[in-house]
Amino acid sequence: MASADVLALSLADRQALVPMAAGYLILMSALGFGLRRLYRPRGDPSGADAWPDRARATPPGPGQRTGWAALVRRVAGTVVGGYLLLMAVVVAYYFGVARVGPGFLESAVTGTALLLGLAAPVFAALSWLAERRDRARDRAEPGEPGQAPQDCRGSGV
Amino acid sequence: MARHPLIGYLVWVVLFGAVFAWEGLALARVTGVPSLSDVFRVIMRYPVGRWALFALWLWAGWHFFIRGWHFLLRG
Repeated sequence: MASADVLALSLADRQALVPMAAGYLILMSALGFGLRRLYRPRGDPSGADAWPDRARATPPGPGQRTGWAALVRRVAGTVVGGYLLLMAVVVAYYFGVARVGPGFLESAVTGTALLLGLAAPVFAALSWLAERRDRARDRAEPGEPGQAPQDCRGSGV
Repeated sequence: MARHPLIGYLVWVVLFGAVFAWEGLALARVTGVPSLSDVFRVIMRYPVGRWALFALWLWAGWHFFIRGWHFLLRG
């Protein structure tokens, strides 16, 4: 049986949780407000322009390829490049600036790898869902040609 | 839990407030103020920019979820 003690937060937990929850709510509210402003222009109450055109949302760069293979290649390059860059900075910081303590380097390698392991499947699933939704919308509106998946839709990676 | 001086919180409130104010101006279509999306879009055109942003994202997640967020108020 779950007692009230289990659910009760300590003072330290409350001091950590409340600012983080408040910050999260403020950030999400601001993002939601911004999305509403961008995706529902004034003077169009019908909602016909409820979503931005894709070119405005994520325009492919000059010479940039589109399609699933290009998306996978691009994401893989970003993940590997970003991870290696962070490791280089962390190692340089540790040996060049401050030896902050035992386990720092190990935590950097394993902790960020854990985050990657958690985020990558979510990113892949959201990208797949976004593509599926777009295809369904294209089928509902046959006048508009379908488009290949573009860069990094579906998550903030 | 470590006690942090109030000034640490105030500085972060001001910094985040400035970011939100900037984004608010951009969303209000004030001329010459690019939104954060515009800024990130420009940065992400280039591989090095994408690496740097992703490294920053990883670094923030590592600190917030694994090492703890108190590093923000160290000093």
